[in-house]
Parts: sequence; structure tokens; C-alpha cells
Amino acid sequence: MINIQQLSFKWQKQQVKPTLAIATLSIAKGEHVFLHGPSGCGKSTLLSLLAGINRPTSGQLSILGCELGQLSKSKCDKFRAEHIGYIFQNFNLLPYLSPIDNVTLGCQFSKPRQKKALINSPTLNQEASRLLNALGLDEQLHQQNVASLSIGQQQRVAAARAFIGSPELIIADEPTSALDANNRQSFINLLFTQANEANSTLLFVSHDTSLQPLFNRNIDLLSLQEQGK
Amino acid sequence: MILLKLAISSLYNRRASAFLTLFTIAVSVMLLLSIERVRVDAKSSFSNTISGTDLIVGARTGDIQLLLSSVFRIGHANNGVSWQSYQYIKQQRGVNWTIPLSLGDSHKGQAVLGTSADYFQHYKFAKKQQLSFSQGRAFAHLNEVVLGAQVAAKLGYSLGDSIVISHGMGNTSFHHHDDNPFTVVGILDATGTPVDKTLHIPLAAIELIHSGNHTSHEHEHEHEHEQHDVLTGEPKQITAFLVGFDSPLYTLQVRRNINQYKPEALLAIMPGVTLRELWEMLTIVEKILLLFSVVVVLVSLLGMLTTLLASLNQRRRELAILRSVGARPWHLFTLISIESLLITFLGCLVGCGLFYLLMSLATGYLQSNVGITITIAMLSSYELVLIGAIMAAGFIVGLIPATRAYFYSLSDGMSIKI
Repeated sequence: MINIQQLSFKWQKQQVKPTLAIATLSIAKGEHVFLHGPSGCGKSTLLSLLAGINRPTSGQLSILGCELGQLSKSKCDKFRAEHIGYIFQNFNLLPYLSPIDNVTLGCQFSKPRQKKALINSPTLNQEASRLLNALGLDEQLHQQNVASLSIGQQQRVAAARAFIGSPELIIADEPTSALDANNRQSFINLLFTQANEANSTLLFVSHDTSLQPLFNRNIDLLSLQEQGK
Repeated sequence: MILLKLAISSLYNRRASAFLTLFTIAVSVMLLLSIERVRVDAKSSFSNTISGTDLIVGARTGDIQLLLSSVFRIGHANNGVSWQSYQYIKQQRGVNWTIPLSLGDSHKGQAVLGTSADYFQHYKFAKKQQLSFSQGRAFAHLNEVVLGAQVAAKLGYSLGDSIVISHGMGNTSFHHHDDNPFTVVGILDATGTPVDKTLHIPLAAIELIHSGNHTSHEHEHEHEHEQHDVLTGEPKQITAFLVGFDSPLYTLQVRRNINQYKPEALLAIMPGVTLRELWEMLTIVEKILLLFSVVVVLVSLLGMLTTLLASLNQRRRELAILRSVGARPWHLFTLISIESLLITFLGCLVGCGLFYLLMSLATGYLQSNVGITITIAMLSSYELVLIGAIMAAGFIVGLIPATRAYFYSLSDGMSIKI
């Protein structure tokens, strides 16, 4: 699924020490991976590399057998639209779209992903609605103004957007940091259920190690980096 | 398609500021179009007022003053032309026709023109168009009057009505010539010139109303009463007269003769030349107006730029979210461009609406008070070019925030700022 070999990344060429250096890392399909590390250890940098926003300075980074460093920028964007669902920390939604429209936005920039979303339901809106229901957002909230939703509800909409069209990789960047302990637990369980259903790999990034036991694999980015240097 | 939808919902979400921006653009478009329309129509109204006349002759004064008083009924001629001089010039070689004009009386604020029947035959406006009657005929008797289209419409007169002419200009003249009522025998077709606002009576009748055979007014007016020989209609003097030649070649020669005419200080002008001079005097005003309206358009577009740039910083999160679902920087550039284009386009549309509204409200006023006929027609190609230029300017201005969004999306990537 994800395969990293001798990866290093520098923001500037003149930089002496790389911001990120990983000797080897591979994540198998369907794994639920908990990636943690203190602030500033390069989590965001790794995520931007995985999402294809930045390219590795050296080494290999492949997702689904596709070498991201070799793709052009627009191909990277296309790849991301097609294969990656992304959940931000908070404020994940466009304030001017309804929850349904926010969810369908996930496959507006990729035709293949749209096709995959239409396997489960006849229309994109119905698929969005199905996902929202599955993530526990009541039907009457589907067309409401997103600003009137609670943070927990907003994160469910964001998750539904990441899952629409069943992308192979879901990246969640501290999606629970704004939630309380109870909500956190149930939100992560929902993510697991959906990830299993869609057969997606889940990469969950957080500095909150208390969530660690829920996942079947843990990666400490700091120690991973130490091996790389 | 998705970008258009996003742009529309995003604008709708910020409808208060978007509407204000749109409205400023609309007002500026309206202003620009109105000024252009009035300018173009004023010019054509002006030059359409008189045609086919080779010379206008009056007492010596300024060229433009003579033109204004004789043709546009603006201002007064201080002196007149004596009947003898008129007769003398009429006999000159090459003179095909003359139209005597006697002004100075009014009816309910509308100018009264004393003239001969030649007026209806030789007076031409616009592209050498003759006057035509919508109803009735030319005057044949001393107590008959022919109305301009607008006089009839405004005062509600129809054929057979009896009206009274007052002395002097203006509505409030105390001196009514009550004893000499006139009967309406003809109403002219609309011309879009001062003719529409004029009552035409026989030249001799002017003398008649001033020399009335009653005594009550005599102490107020020191008219030298002539003999009551009204049928031959020979007034002592007229305000001015129009001359048409057999061939335009005579024009310069006769003009020189008139200007050097010894017995009386006269002035002959060529209407086309003087109209152009008059218009040139006004071009500076016209250019300043145009400049101002262009500046107003620019200011409104800068207003849009400010609004878009100010909102952009708050929207970096939005840009990052769009990036995360696979939007390319180019998409975001397009998104912001579409927004500015939408605002400008709707602004132009609303501006055109306001423009037509304003025009339909102002036509009546402009026609009756300034004498400019505004045509409420489709937008001319020139006006469409103006709107196109505004749209283009709006698009170019919109490129600034769009470029900024492009670079934000490159630098921010997936990290959400703010």
C-alpha cells in the first residue's frame, strides 16, 4: 500500500539536516495505523508528502505502487482526488455548502472516484446521505447550514467526505483533537467501521497516545526518524 | 461546472458584501451608460435641429447667440431685422426661399413663432426632413395657429380649440392678448427638435396681437401702432430669417454681403458651422463627464478588488479543503476569477436595468426642459463595447486575488492556516 525507502525531505536545498528522514516504512492494505510523535517531529511534512503536495528530496515514496516523486504536480492532484480521503483537525467543511454537498465535494474532482461512489447508490446525493447516516448524522441535519452543526457532527461530515467513493487511503490529521473523550472513542470506532467496509487503509495521526491501544499498528515517527538518520 | 456552483454558493454565502460590491458596479455602469447616451443623443439632437438652411440672418450679435435664439429658442435676440432689410436680402441673386422668424411671445410657457407659410415647406431638420402634419393643415388666416407635437400633447389641444397668446416669454406673463384668440388648424408630427415645443402663427398675426384695437393695454406697452392693414402682413421688424439658396455656392458671397450690409448691422451665420462650434465648446464638458464616469467605474472595480482580497485571507482554509479533495491550484485560480466575473457580469446587468429605468424616467424631463431627445433603444454597439470593456477590466482586476489564491494554495498546501 504505502512503501517508503530512504526517504528524505528538505524544505530548502541548502538545509544541512533534512526535515524528514525515514529509512524504511511500509503499510499494508487495510491496516489501521496510528502515527504519533511530538509536535515538530515532521508529522505534517510526512502527510504533505503522502498527499502529493510536496515531493521527496530523495528516496522512494510509493502509494498503491505509484511512485509519487515521478508524477507531475497535476498528476499528483489527480492521484489524491482519486485515491486519498483526507480529514483535517477541525473546521473541515465549506461553510457555504450543505453537509450533503460537502460530502459529494469529495468526488467532484475525480471521475473514477465518482464512478466508485455510484456503485453503492444511484446518485451522489444518495450515497452522501447513506454515508452520513452510517456515520450517525441524523437525516434532518443533512441539508442544514454546516455552521449550526456541533464540532462532533462536523467531523462526521468530514469523515463521510473522506470515505465517499471508497478511496484506498484515508489520512486523518488529528481529527479528534477538538472532541471530548466519549466522542473521540465513538468517532474512531465509526472510522474503523467505515474503513473496513470500504476496505481502506487508515492512517491516523495524533500526538494523543491514549488512543494508541485502539489501533492494530503503531508507528512512533520520532524513533522511525532516528533509524533514518 | 462544480467551480461555477462553488463560486455561486460562496458568493451567496457572502451576499451582503457581494451585493454591495455588485451594486457599486451597477451604479457606475448606469452612470457611464447614461452619460454616454445623453452625450450621443444630445449631439444628434443638436445637429438634427436644423438642416437644409444655408444661412441664418439676424441682428448683429454672437454667432452662437444668434443660433441659440433663432433655432433653439434659448435666450433672446436683443435686436431685430427691419422689414426693409429682409425684403432687400430676399431679392438677392440666388436666394431660393426665405423664412421670416418672429419670436418673443409665448403661450403657457411655450414659444410662439410668427412665420410665413414657407416655413412648412422649406424648414428642414435631421436629414433634410420636411415638417409634416399629423392632423390638419398650415395656417391660412390670421387667427389660425399650428402646434408643435409636444405643445399639443402637453396642453391637450386638438383641432378647433381656441387659444390665447400672451406677450413676452414665460408662464406668468401678466399681459394676455385676450382679444385675439387663435384657432388650432394643424398639429405637426414630432421632430425631436424645438419645433415640437413651438406654436406657429402667421407673421402678420404677431403684429396684430401687439397692435390690438383696444385701449386697455396701451399704457403698458408702447407699441407703435401701425395701420390696421393686417391682411398684407408687413411687420416693422422680424427677429431673424432663414435663407436657402439655389446653389450652396452663393452662400459665402451673400453672407459677406449681409455682414457688410450698410443700412443695418446684420449677421449671417451658416448653421452647420455654428452648430459645430457650439458643440466644440461643449466637448470639454463632455470629456470631463466621460472622465468622471470612467473613474467611477474604476473605483467600483477597486472596491471589488478590496472585498475579494480581504475575504481571501479568511478563505485560505477553504482553499486547503478544496486542495485536499483534489482541486489543483489552477482550479482555485479559476474559482476566484469566476467570482469576480460573476460580480462584474451581474453588476453590468443590474446597471443596464438601472440605466433603462433612469432613462425612461428622465426622457420626459430632458425632452421638455433641455430639448434632448433620448432614444430608449437597445444598447448600441458602442455601449456594448463599453460594457465589454468594464467586464474585461473586472476580469483583469479579478486576476489579482485569483493569482493570490493560486500562490496561497501552493504555499499552504494541506496545512490549514488561521
